Parts: sequence; C-alpha cells; structure tokens
Amino acid sequence: MSNALPVADSHQVRRYARDLFRRHPRQLAVAVGLHAAAAIAGLAGPRLLGDLVQSIEHGSGFGAVDRIALLIAVFIVAQAVLVRFAYIRSARLGERILAELREEFVDRVLRIPLSTVERAGSGDLLTRTSRDVDALSRCVRFAVPETLISLLTVALAVVALILVSPLLALPLLIAVPLIVFSARWYLRRAAAGYLRQNAAYSQVTDGLAETVEGARTVDALRRQRQRLRRTDADLSRSWQAERYTLWLRTVWSPTVEFGYILPVVGTLLIGGWFYYQGWVDLGQVTSAVLYTQLLIDPLDRFLGWLDELQVGAASLARLLGVSFETPPATEEVPRGTEIVAKDVRFSYVEGREVLHGISLTIAPGERLAIVGPSGAGKSTLGRLLAGVHAPGAGSLTVGGVPLADLPLDRLRTEVALVSQEHHVFMGTLRDNIAMVRPGSSAADVREALAAVHALKWADALPAGIDTLVGAGGVPLSAAQAQQVALARLVLADPHTLVLDEATALLDPRAARDLEQSLAAVLRGRTVVAIAHRLFSAHDADRVAVVEGGRITELGSHDELVAAGGSYAALWDSWHGTPQVQAEPA
Amino acid sequence: MRDLPPADSGSPDHRSATRYLTWLARRTWASVGAAVIFAVLWMVCQAVVPAVVGRAIDAGLTHHDGGDLLLWSLVLLGIGAVQALAGVLRHRRAVYNWLSAAFRTIQASVRKSGKLGVALPRRLDAGEVVAIGTADISHIGNAIDITARGTGSVIAVLTVTVLLLFTSVPLGLVVIFGIPLLTAVVSLLIRPLHRRQQEYREQQGQLTGRATDLVGGLRVLRGVGGEPVMAERYRAGSQSLRAAGLRVARVEALLDGAQVLVPGIFLVLVTWLGARFALEGRITVGQLVSFYGYAAFLVSPLRQLTETIDKLTRGHVSGRRVVDMLRVESDLPDPPRPVPVPRTGDLVDPVSGLVVRAGRVTAVAAAQPADAVAIADRLGRYSRAGDGTLLSGVPLKELELAAVRERIVVVDNDSRLFSGPLREDLDPDGTGRAPAALAAASADDVVAELPGGLDSEVAERGRSFSGGQQQRLRLARALVADPEILVLVEPTSAVDAHTEARIADRLGPARRGRTTVVCSTSPLVLDRADHVVYVEDGVAVAEGTHRELLDSSRAYARTVLRE
Repeated sequence: MSNALPVADSHQVRRYARDLFRRHPRQLAVAVGLHAAAAIAGLAGPRLLGDLVQSIEHGSGFGAVDRIALLIAVFIVAQAVLVRFAYIRSARLGERILAELREEFVDRVLRIPLSTVERAGSGDLLTRTSRDVDALSRCVRFAVPETLISLLTVALAVVALILVSPLLALPLLIAVPLIVFSARWYLRRAAAGYLRQNAAYSQVTDGLAETVEGARTVDALRRQRQRLRRTDADLSRSWQAERYTLWLRTVWSPTVEFGYILPVVGTLLIGGWFYYQGWVDLGQVTSAVLYTQLLIDPLDRFLGWLDELQVGAASLARLLGVSFETPPATEEVPRGTEIVAKDVRFSYVEGREVLHGISLTIAPGERLAIVGPSGAGKSTLGRLLAGVHAPGAGSLTVGGVPLADLPLDRLRTEVALVSQEHHVFMGTLRDNIAMVRPGSSAADVREALAAVHALKWADALPAGIDTLVGAGGVPLSAAQAQQVALARLVLADPHTLVLDEATALLDPRAARDLEQSLAAVLRGRTVVAIAHRLFSAHDADRVAVVEGGRITELGSHDELVAAGGSYAALWDSWHGTPQVQAEPA
Repeated sequence: MRDLPPADSGSPDHRSATRYLTWLARRTWASVGAAVIFAVLWMVCQAVVPAVVGRAIDAGLTHHDGGDLLLWSLVLLGIGAVQALAGVLRHRRAVYNWLSAAFRTIQASVRKSGKLGVALPRRLDAGEVVAIGTADISHIGNAIDITARGTGSVIAVLTVTVLLLFTSVPLGLVVIFGIPLLTAVVSLLIRPLHRRQQEYREQQGQLTGRATDLVGGLRVLRGVGGEPVMAERYRAGSQSLRAAGLRVARVEALLDGAQVLVPGIFLVLVTWLGARFALEGRITVGQLVSFYGYAAFLVSPLRQLTETIDKLTRGHVSGRRVVDMLRVESDLPDPPRPVPVPRTGDLVDPVSGLVVRAGRVTAVAAAQPADAVAIADRLGRYSRAGDGTLLSGVPLKELELAAVRERIVVVDNDSRLFSGPLREDLDPDGTGRAPAALAAASADDVVAELPGGLDSEVAERGRSFSGGQQQRLRLARALVADPEILVLVEPTSAVDAHTEARIADRLGPARRGRTTVVCSTSPLVLDRADHVVYVEDGVAVAEGTHRELLDSSRAYARTVLRE
C-alpha cells in the first residue's frame, strides 16, 4: 500500500509563487525601491573616480579633487544607510511571506482526509514538514532576496555603464554567450545533483543517529562491524553525490570566472582604441573598466543562488502537493445511533477485496468484540465502522445516514476510532485533552481525567494539569499516554467507540486496568473492540470472529465457547485448561 | 583525488581539540597543502589585478602606447585565467578536505558508539552524539577548509601592502594601520549576529519540532479533533519565529551597512589622498586607479580573515565536543585478566535467585513487569548489576565482555530495527537462517506482503511495520543470531492471540539444544515453556510447569489469568 503524497506541477508552483508576492504589493515596491536606490548610490563611486581622473588630467586643482572625494563619501554614507533600510524592509517582507507559507502548509496538512492519513503513513509527510519547509526557508530568506538584489544591481550597473558611454558598454556582450551557455548547462544538472547530495547527506546523519540511538541493540547483536560497513557505504554514496556536483562546478565556475574577466579586458582594449580615436575621454574609460569589474560580484552572486532557487522550487512543489479538497458532506441528520452494515465490501487496491460482504447490526449500548488472526480484515472493518473509509459496495449507516458522508465535526460526535497509536502533543496536559472540545474548562478536563483514573498522577505532576508534557516536556509513560487518549474521548463524547487494539502495546496488567476504567466510563455507549487479548472478548456482549474478510462466528462468549469453533479452541488454549472457568482453581 | 571515505580512518588523537583538528589535517596533509598553495595563488592573482589595470591605463592610455595597452590587457587576461583555474583547483581541494575531516569524524563517532554499546545512554547524551553528525562535523570541516583561504588572505593582504609601500609610503601606511582597524570594527558586529542567528535556529528547530509533533499525531488529531487549536498554536510559534527572524535581520542589516560604510570610508580616504598625490605628481593616474582597486579588493580578504577567526573558533568548540565523546569509556570494563570462557552451563542470577537450565526454555513470569526487565538486563550483564551473574559458576565480570555478548543475547521491545534492506538487518552475515527464523516467529506473512520480500527497504525504526509486525521481526532477528543463550522480554505483547499461540508453539523447536529465557505473563507462552519461574518483588518465589503453578500458586494464577 504505497501511498506517496502528490507533488504539485511547475505551473502550480509558479502561480503560487507569483500570488505570494502579489499579496503585498506595497511592501514589495518599497523594498525593491530601497534596494535600487542603494545600488544606484553604490554605482556613483566609479563614475566619480572617472571624474577625479579627468580633473587630474586637466590639473583642476585641490579644490575640485576635494569636492569629488567628499561627494564619493556622501554617496557611500547614503549607500550604507539605504542598504540597512532596504535589508530590513526586504527581510520583513520575506519573513512575512515565509510565515504565511508554512502556516498555510500546516493548515493544508490539517485538512488531509482521514482515509489518506490512515493509509499514507507519516514518513513522507514528516520529510515535507521538516526538510522541505527548512529548504524553503533558506530559499525565501536568502536565495530569493539575493537573486533579486543582485539582478537589480547588475541591471543598474549596465545602465550606469551605458550612461557613461553607450560605446563602452559594447565589450560586455563578449561575455554573454559564454555565461549564458555555461549557466544553462550547469543549471540543467545542478538541482538534481544537489537534491541527491542532500539526500545522501541526510542518510549519513540518519545512519549515525540510528547507531547512536540503537547502541544497545548494536551491542546486544554485535552489529558494530555491520554499522561501520553501513556507515562507509553511506559515506561513499555521499562522496559520489558530492563528486558529481563538484564536477559540475569544476566545469562551470572557471568558465564563468573567465567570462567575468573578458569584458574587463575588452573594455580596456576597445576603450583604449576609442580613446585613441578621441571618441571617449580617459575618465570614461576608467569608469567603464571599474563598472565592468563592479558587475562581477553581483553577477556571481546571482548565478550562485540560482541552484538554491531550483531546490526551493522543488520543495515548494512538495509542500503544495499536500492539498486536498474536502468533499461535500451530507446535510442529513442521523435519526438514532444504531449502526447497520449491509453486505459491506471493501478493497484498498482495485481487484483485491479485503472484506467480502459483512453484515452486522450494532445496537446502541452494545459491546462488540472483534477477534481473529492478523490480516483477516479486523482493522479495515474497524476503520469502516468509524467512517474513515466508505464501503466499496453495500451500505454502512448510522441512524440511517451513510457514515462516511457525514461532515467531520458531526462524525466525531457519532463514532471515534481509537488506535494502537497514542500521541501526546507538545503542550500542557490540559491542552492535550481540551483540544478536542475548544472552550472546555479546567473542571471539564479534570472530570475527564478522573473518569479514566488519571487524575491522581495528573495532580502529582509539577504544575498539575498545566504541566508541559510531550516532546520536550515531562515524559508520560505509555499507560499514561493511553489514559490521555481515553480522557480526550470522554470529553469528545461520541456515542460509539471503535477500539482498534488500543491496548496492545501496553503491559498486560495496565491494559486490564485501562479497559476496566474505560468500561466504567463508557457504560451506555456502544463499543466495538478489536481485540487480541481474549479477556476483553470475554467481557463483551457479543463476539465476532473475523477470518479471511468474513464474519465466521458471531454470538456471546458463552455461546461461542459452547459451539466449539475456532474461538473456543483459542479460548481454551489461552486459559491454560478447559476446566478453569471464571474463577481460578 | 582519492576516493572517500578513507578505508583506514586511523585512531584519532583525542588529547585535545587542537590536537584532534591537527590530526585530521595531518591525515590529508598533501591535499591540505595543495589547497593552501592554490588559495595563495588565487588570492594573489586577485590582488595584482588593480596593479595591472593601473599599468594598462598609465602605459597604454596616458602614454598613448597601443603596444603596451595590448600587452597589459593580455597580462590581465592571463591573470584572470590563472585565477579562475587556481580558484577551482582550490575549491576542489577544499571540498575534499572538508569531506574527509567530516567523514573521519563520523567514522570515529560510529566506532565509539559501537564500543560503548549498552553503556552509551548511561555515559553520554545520545542527542549530543547525533548532533556531532548534524552540526559539529560542518564546523570541523569548515575549520580544516578555512586554513587554506585564511593563509591565502594573509598573503594577499601582505602582497597588496608591499605593492602599496613601493608606490607610496604614506598610502601604504594608511592601509597597514587601516586594515586591522576595519577588521576589528566589523567583527564587533559578528558576535551579536551569531547570538541572534543561534536563537533563530533554536526557534526554527522548535517550530519544526511542533510541526513534526503535529504530523506524528495527525491520526489522533484527524480522528478525535483539535485541528483549530493545533493550527493556532503552530501559528503562534511561526509568528514568534518571524519576530526572531526580524531580530536577526536588524543586526544583519547593520552589518551589511557597516560593510559598505567602513571599507567605503577607507576607500574614500585612500582615493582622496591618492588624488592629491596624483595632482602633486607624486603618483600617476594609473596608480591612483590601482589604489582605488586595492582598497576595493581588500574588502574580500578582510571578510575572509574575520571568517577564518570565526570558523577556527567554532571548529575548536566542535572539536572539543568530539574529543569529549571519544574520551568516554564504558562503565562495563573488561577484567584485567579475563577467565577463559566456560563450557555451556546454567545461568544464575543471584539477585533474584533465578536459575536458567542449559538447553531448555525457561519462562519468567513477574508480577511486576519491571522486575522481568531488570532480570533480563542482569542475565546479559547490560549493567553493573549483572557483574555477579554466574555462567557455569563463573561471574560474568571475570569474562571478556565480547565473549559474554557472543554467548548471551537479550532482546526486548526497545530493540531497534535498522533501516536498509530487511535481509541485512535480519541476517547480516548471510547465514541463510532467515526463512526458518521468520517462520518460527510467525513473521513469514509480514515478509510475504512486502513488494520486494527480504530485499525490501525497512523504514527508520521499522516505522512502516505495525507494532506487532515489528515485534515478530525482532524475534526472527534474534533467532537468526542463534546465540547459545537467548533472553526474550515480552516477545509477544503486541501480537494477537492466534499469532501468539503459533509463536509459542514454534519457539521451543526453533531453539532446540539452546538455552532460552522468555519473560512473559501470557498463559499461551507459559504453557509451552519447559519450566516456569514466578517472580514477586524481584525474587523467584515459585517454579514448576505452568499447570503445576496454576494449581499450586494463587498469586501466579492471579498474575497470568488476570482474574
């Protein structure tokens, strides 16, 4: 069931990027204007030096020289001040756009449909959330402003050069083909190369993290040599990737650098010839040579950031790929809380049916246990009963309304799925529970905790229910985390709960405690428990044995034991001896 | 360039951070030397460009000598070509040196982690060791790399100074005294900048943490609700990161301004003085243009010098972290004179009184699950508490630790599945035992479902598998390892009853002739064990078969049947 999340195409990426900048036209105009002003101030230097040379040539005297020097100083001060303000303005805009970008991404993540969340796994999404958001930050904070500013500076320097003498701007053209062709050659290969390099690098750091965090396992299974081999293989892959991009740069960087020096030489030679002809004066040649030199730095920066822009665009494409339309929900309101499945069939992949016609009526307040071997379709049935997936054929309704068509807010008041996974979010214990019902008071939260027998340890935390828990906070044990999950359910208050091996990863004694406290709290609620611990089946009103995508046995515990089918065999085996019943001997 | 990583990473000098960095540089001395030479050449080429431009203007233009103009223009072109070539050769060496320092550090970290093994969490903060791989190696690589550019910058500054002094002593002196002053002024701003950048990175890390937290719990979130609260909280973090970004930008803006202003004023000073000298006829116009060029050029080596100081400092700090890690020793030392490994015999934990008979399956049912974990750790000497555990009457602390690990393997539910092809994790030595072990662990269906079978990639921590699947794979891996003594802690806690029954049936035959300990309270498992020991309050209080114990011990029955 590989379920890679989609990636946006380049058209969508471009449109989104354009819209992003258009959202703040005034801020953009101010930032660009300031940068342009700063660049213009910076371009005054060579021009004035030309004037200086010219006045020395004509022996204009100290006064003129002093005046020009003072003017250069004024422009430098102006440039420094403008640079500062321009930088702040563009950073303000950049940070704002970046914040919007990541917040919108998280909003889109929070709208991923339940069925996708349940099936896709979190690996890909985690990578997008951490690496792609980081890559994009680098792009928005550095690459975008740097390329824009350097492009602006280059353009203005060319204008300045033309203003000095349009003739002297001609030698610039010598370098254009060389730079353009080599840049195209490089950029066509760079992004893929750097992506591979980054991927190889993170494999190296992941491998190290694995060795360090798994040091106990490495030691227990004597895997030291294997880990070293693995490290060397990772490093070798990283080296290959680095060598490829290094090769790209080995070709490209001397080529462009040579391309930078060509116009300087050309301006000197051609400018000299123009000067001999009397078409330009010495000051103009000086300024022109200095301008062509001045072009090198921004041009180099511009070209240097282009590959980062490509990497950023690739990341943006992955971030924009996480975008799902919410399908229109039904307006119908369930009449009653009875859940009815009629000949429900379901397949994840076309042609590979997992459930082959399940019919089941779950009465309000009933407790139903679903047992059966791994891979029999128990969890899939549970997800359907919780409205995560819609059945492929047949119908599954609550109070007469198809479960999967209900709007999510409504669905949550009807059925909730509790899985093996429990997650304590970073934040206070109180927030962790109150989140399912915004506006809940501290008293509501305490009540929910008390219902799952968790109030005692909660009050014993350093700051009670306002203690920070989860990653970076006070760590909670697995059993406590499970209790938090149950407390959330108490507060969310759905009439039906689907427990999917909710207690599987706990130590068996705690599971028993939890299930008992849960049973006490949920009296009157409908409970569907997908269980592999048989005591929970024993406590249920009815037991459904699911084998091979079908319900093969259905009835109360005693009925099934008496019937002597596969459930009875398992029960005997679990219980040690057929003789021992409810009371130990 | 030789291939990386180095086959023989050598034994690092961990006496001090400086020695460690020197050791790294020495391991690739030829390449580091080449980088220095190319860097010097590269920077000197840049340094002499203004002089050549000046000569071209003087000789070619003011003296109207076309031949000279051509000559000097060609010299300029030649220097440009050499500079481009030296630049890329320097860069190639720099990348090589950076990587080889980083790679060696990673190799050393992996080797050390393996050596520390179970002692690592007790001796080191795992997060800090991981941080060596994510952060410190770049600082170390940078430190090795910057030495070349730093040397080049010093030489370039010296070259320019000499050139200036030859042309005009007063101007040369302005440069000599001006440069250290400029470096000092600009570097004043570097420190607050780094502080704020650090703060930003930390906040960025926290925000990423918040987002991954949210993604990690997305199933819960989408299941029971709470999205608006989470979105709001993320937004708050995002906005505070935005504010931190602006704080960085304010210092950066100031620095950018200063980097225009300070060298700019210097440039004006040099140009103004130069112009006056030119007017007095003390220097030529071409020389004036050169002066302007020098002053503009010097900004770059100046920045590199500031960078050099900064990177060497950071490299030193990171080097110290690496050295600190390399120095840590395990708290489970080998005895000075190890006793020869005894023949197969009983394994005894004197603390609990547990006796594990050779060649049988012994189940340990503990009333408190923590007791079973502690016993397992002692049986394998995973902590000092296991020093006194007896193997054939010999205390484990008198044996070589490697020999103990070879004979006794403890597998608990924290055992980590490693990423990569499944085959490599299950059977790294290619024993071919994997299919049988998978069948015994009832994990053959897990592999059958994988698109590539045993060659499929395992995700980090085995995340692509469910809890029960992970547990069965761990068991299979332990069975492939086939140690003389295998200690399993709750090996079936996450699988369904059908599967558990199958595993319990197959475990005994799979381990025939070997010694096996299973810590479990599941009747399905206990019923199949040769011998069951019941532990209460850390002490073995009853033993026998499962059925005998059910009959004889009320406490045992309560524990395993949970009545």
